[in-house]
Amino acid sequence: MQAIEHFEVECPEALGAEYYTQIANDVLLDHNLMKVIDKLHIYIDPKVPVFVAVGTLKKISTRVRIGDFANVNPMETKITLVISEETYMAPMLKILWERFGKEKVEQPDRFTVILYNVPATPQEIEEIVVADPSESLHKDLIYALRCIAPEGFRLRSEVFTGTKFKFVASENTLAEDIGTLVADKFKLMGEVPP
Amino acid sequence: MTLVPVTYKGGIFQHDIVVDLIEDLGGYIVQKHIIAQEVVLQCFVPREDIELIRQISRPLFGEVTDSPLVGTEIAIVSMSLEIHHLPHPSCDIAEYVRRLGAKSNMVSLARGPGKRIAGLNDEERDVINEHDIAVYLMGNFETCIEYKMPTLRRGIEVPIVLCGGPDKEVLERIISPPVDGYVGNVGRFMRRTKEADELAKLDEIIAEITRVLEKKREEIAKDPLSVYPARLMGLIREQIPEILHVTSPTPLTVQMAGLRVKLPYDTFAEKVKKVTIEDGIMLGEVAEVLPSRMRDYIIVRVLPFSETNIAV
Repeated sequence: MQAIEHFEVECPEALGAEYYTQIANDVLLDHNLMKVIDKLHIYIDPKVPVFVAVGTLKKISTRVRIGDFANVNPMETKITLVISEETYMAPMLKILWERFGKEKVEQPDRFTVILYNVPATPQEIEEIVVADPSESLHKDLIYALRCIAPEGFRLRSEVFTGTKFKFVASENTLAEDIGTLVADKFKLMGEVPP
Repeated sequence: MTLVPVTYKGGIFQHDIVVDLIEDLGGYIVQKHIIAQEVVLQCFVPREDIELIRQISRPLFGEVTDSPLVGTEIAIVSMSLEIHHLPHPSCDIAEYVRRLGAKSNMVSLARGPGKRIAGLNDEERDVINEHDIAVYLMGNFETCIEYKMPTLRRGIEVPIVLCGGPDKEVLERIISPPVDGYVGNVGRFMRRTKEADELAKLDEIIAEITRVLEKKREEIAKDPLSVYPARLMGLIREQIPEILHVTSPTPLTVQMAGLRVKLPYDTFAEKVKKVTIEDGIMLGEVAEVLPSRMRDYIIVRVLPFSETNIAV
């Protein structure tokens, strides 16, 4: 929870707000979104009914490079990669095969990859980008917000930009002035709507 | 002779001694599970003979525990089958009551979620009414529960235990007319129930279900059933061997005042009606054999003594 600068659930029913704080927390943790979201403000009014989630995202430009999850050990004619996290194994192998050819890349076990006579220095190999988590970020965020929102609220209006998002859901047609409500919630966080 | 529901747990070695003993004492085995080297028997045994079973099973390392939910079929009514409600809390609760011997079925509503849009159709209503008790798992907001509950309980004749996010007192206040049981502070949540306080909450649900079922048992005892449903189970198994080929985990599901037979109604209804109990009395004379709304199963509803004037 510490990772989010502003995290608040607002609801006329105190107990409901408490439960939704827990739900939001669990869902964001499950989807690994805690370190991505900077501010999040959720407003729920079951009387209307309406669910509003607004927030800002942190700038994440952390592209995953081979050096981030593997030790690159050069030996005479070969380079051994000792993998500490398997998550990026498949995309890494794909890139290495494309670049050096399958005959030069060998994987004797789950955590080791050996490169034979490749035309690259260990430093160059460490710098190879294998994944960009920000690509799937929006997809995860939309899914997570749909999980947090009450299920019956199927009429939605969602806007996701690079740094900000707003998500409004209800089971009735959304009011025309819903924009004002969204702007109010952004103001509480000291932000302006996208 | 009062039969009480118990669970017997013990090793597989010589467990047939216990099975024979229970049958000789006049008890009934409702479910038998063999899991690796362990046998779990859910059964009804005479109250005065529990000690005897304990004694005889002691050398076999068997243990006998009370399980008040044996021989009941419980509908866990979940608002939907979406990720919002599954696997937590719906599955957690359905699984927990199963551990205590009940047969629980999850009934998920087609249009359960929401406030204004929530509804209950005739099939769902009939399926819920085929159970002994319905456990409604509602959401976190009292406004929504208050608004949608009248719609969701329309036509439900079985006792209802309501679980919801608000406190128990709030639930009691907003539901009118009152339902049979309430458990507060169990609304929608998205984490597995494994902490002590969460497990305590599950125990509270069980306690509430047990209390409501106990009340129903007392009601039934005032006008006793013509025949004990668990007895019919044994007789059907003997006289309709096709039931042995049904792959469902409980081909015959015992309820408090009836039995679900998982055979097609059209083909087997007549055979079920003709099952002889004793002295030429047939099942059809002491029970109604009806088509179930759950697939093409048969539901047997045992009639009370006052209607049949027969007690076997």
